[in-house]
Amino acid sequence: MIQVKQLQKRFVAGRGRKARTVTAVAGVSFTAADGAITALLGPNGAGKTTTLRVAAGLIEPDHGRVSVDGIDVATSPRAALARMGVLSDARGLYPRLTARENIVYYGRLQGMAREAAEARAEAMAELLDMKPLLGRRTEGFSQGERMKTALARALVHDPANIVLDEPTNGLDVLATRALREALLALRSEQRKCIVFSTHVMQEVSRLADRVVLVAHGRTLAEGTVQELCALAGESDFEEAFVKLAFTPEERGAAPAL
Amino acid sequence: MNGAWVVYLKELVDALRDRRTLVTVLLSSVAVGPLVLFLVSTLVGGIEKRAEARNVMVLGIEHAPTLANYFARQTYTVQPAPADFEEQLRKSRLGEPVVVVPADFEARLAAGEAPLVEVVTSAANQRASIGMGAVLRLLRGFSQEQALLRVATRGVAPGLLEAVRVEERDLANAATRAAQLAAMVPFLVLMAMLYGALNAAVDTTAGERERGSLEPLLMTPAARAALVLGKWGAVASVAMLIAVLSCLSFLPGQWLLRSEALAAMFRFGLREAAWFVALLLPLAGGLSALLMAVAVRCKSFKEAQANGTVLLLVVSMLPLVMVFNQEGEAPWHLWVPALAQSTLMARVLRAEALPLADVLWPVLVSGALAATSLTYVAATLRAAAVK
Repeated sequence: MIQVKQLQKRFVAGRGRKARTVTAVAGVSFTAADGAITALLGPNGAGKTTTLRVAAGLIEPDHGRVSVDGIDVATSPRAALARMGVLSDARGLYPRLTARENIVYYGRLQGMAREAAEARAEAMAELLDMKPLLGRRTEGFSQGERMKTALARALVHDPANIVLDEPTNGLDVLATRALREALLALRSEQRKCIVFSTHVMQEVSRLADRVVLVAHGRTLAEGTVQELCALAGESDFEEAFVKLAFTPEERGAAPAL
Repeated sequence: MNGAWVVYLKELVDALRDRRTLVTVLLSSVAVGPLVLFLVSTLVGGIEKRAEARNVMVLGIEHAPTLANYFARQTYTVQPAPADFEEQLRKSRLGEPVVVVPADFEARLAAGEAPLVEVVTSAANQRASIGMGAVLRLLRGFSQEQALLRVATRGVAPGLLEAVRVEERDLANAATRAAQLAAMVPFLVLMAMLYGALNAAVDTTAGERERGSLEPLLMTPAARAALVLGKWGAVASVAMLIAVLSCLSFLPGQWLLRSEALAAMFRFGLREAAWFVALLLPLAGGLSALLMAVAVRCKSFKEAQANGTVLLLVVSMLPLVMVFNQEGEAPWHLWVPALAQSTLMARVLRAEALPLADVLWPVLVSGALAATSLTYVAATLRAAAVK
């Protein structure tokens, strides 16, 4: 279970006279339960990536706290990270290592023995349907192959909590579908707590058990797709999202298609 | 510590699989030693050959039978100079100075008037300038012989003409003379080591950042110190490997020496190689850490490489202090990385004693450099990942 409470984070952009403060997150709160998929839905620049980076202990928040299975990320980041598998926005692989070596390396960094890490790499390859990739160097992998390897790497230590930042970015239909099936299996069969951020409506309605709507660095609404539609008074989820996430001025400024 | 070991092994495998870069570095560093030796030996061999040949190039030898007789007695062979010798000397096509004998040489010599003999060379023509000394000595010998003969016929003891006796005595022993030639070895070995470290250091820091693999790496529970130590270990190992190979490459390089005199002068045996390696290994550790500290601030591989090259330039300039400093070796030389090692390596080549304290100071400095740089890298790593 991942709990995010009243998260706030500001950055200073630029230097000297040109320096200005940018508020990335101004009050995000949500709870992601075990055995459920929670979607962090919001437009670009809403603060989703910053929220997930704080959750992974990569950035310290100015205010608020994140706990993973009751462990505070700020005070004991290493214990929290051991219970988390994070697929971040940056998912670079080592091009001169094979997919297996990439995965096993992360397993070893998680404190696993070599044999155990090797076995997990095989199991993850089975789950993600990437067995033929294991022995190949990752140089020249397609986007989908990269994503699978990065996901296997993030999940090598079999974490109870899985955090994914825009996981379908750059994936084609088949790869997206494969990822979706893998995530659903992880939720239903292994009762993992899964959080993913996205700005794609389709993914949310097909995957998420709960949706957390984020815009301008704040949590605006939380609930199932149906609950959010009811809240906005719209039958279409996209209409509901636009109505809830954007101000009337923003909606007016968007170019008509 | 286990984490550091895992990172070390991975980074080492990664660096060693970067075949193209590795081959380039190895070829340029390990092949450079023997190549430079070969070039120097060819040059020196050419000079020796010319000295053995005992040739003298003269224009108008037919006007001076007495001089020709002297040359012959000194077992020199006279070669006629080409008509356009001035042009050839200027363009460095002629490798020997030319003696120009005037038409009235014999008559003036007989009359007791000193005839003028010109020795023509060009300071811009290296090969011809080298031969100048021998020709001048030969002509002075002739002049002296003539003078002695005249004095003797007048009944004066030849010894009277020599008010002062002058004799040369060179204090440099064989090893010191050899050091002049071998002085370039420390520089070449140092540069090879640095270039070997540069690529690995940039790849594990700025390269990791550019690939987007630094952020996921920091999201593992591995301690920051373990990551930095493992990476540094791998970079330092690559630098040390190159340093060892580069030092060893000068051993077989000696067999390529064509000139026997040169081979006797160039003393770089197993003992010297072992000393070089011992002096360089701590420096490899210190400079690897410094390169990582420079590279970790950079956003891209390219930027890090540019900054690293500036650092390499500075480090390679430091040993020049030894050349420009007329005061000789100062105690502070041993406090400056690279300069200290160059100083000590030069001492090894001169077969001088190395007191333990002199060897330990640079090791301490390298250790402090590594510790400071690595602390900085560890502190910057997280900021580098998210920016």
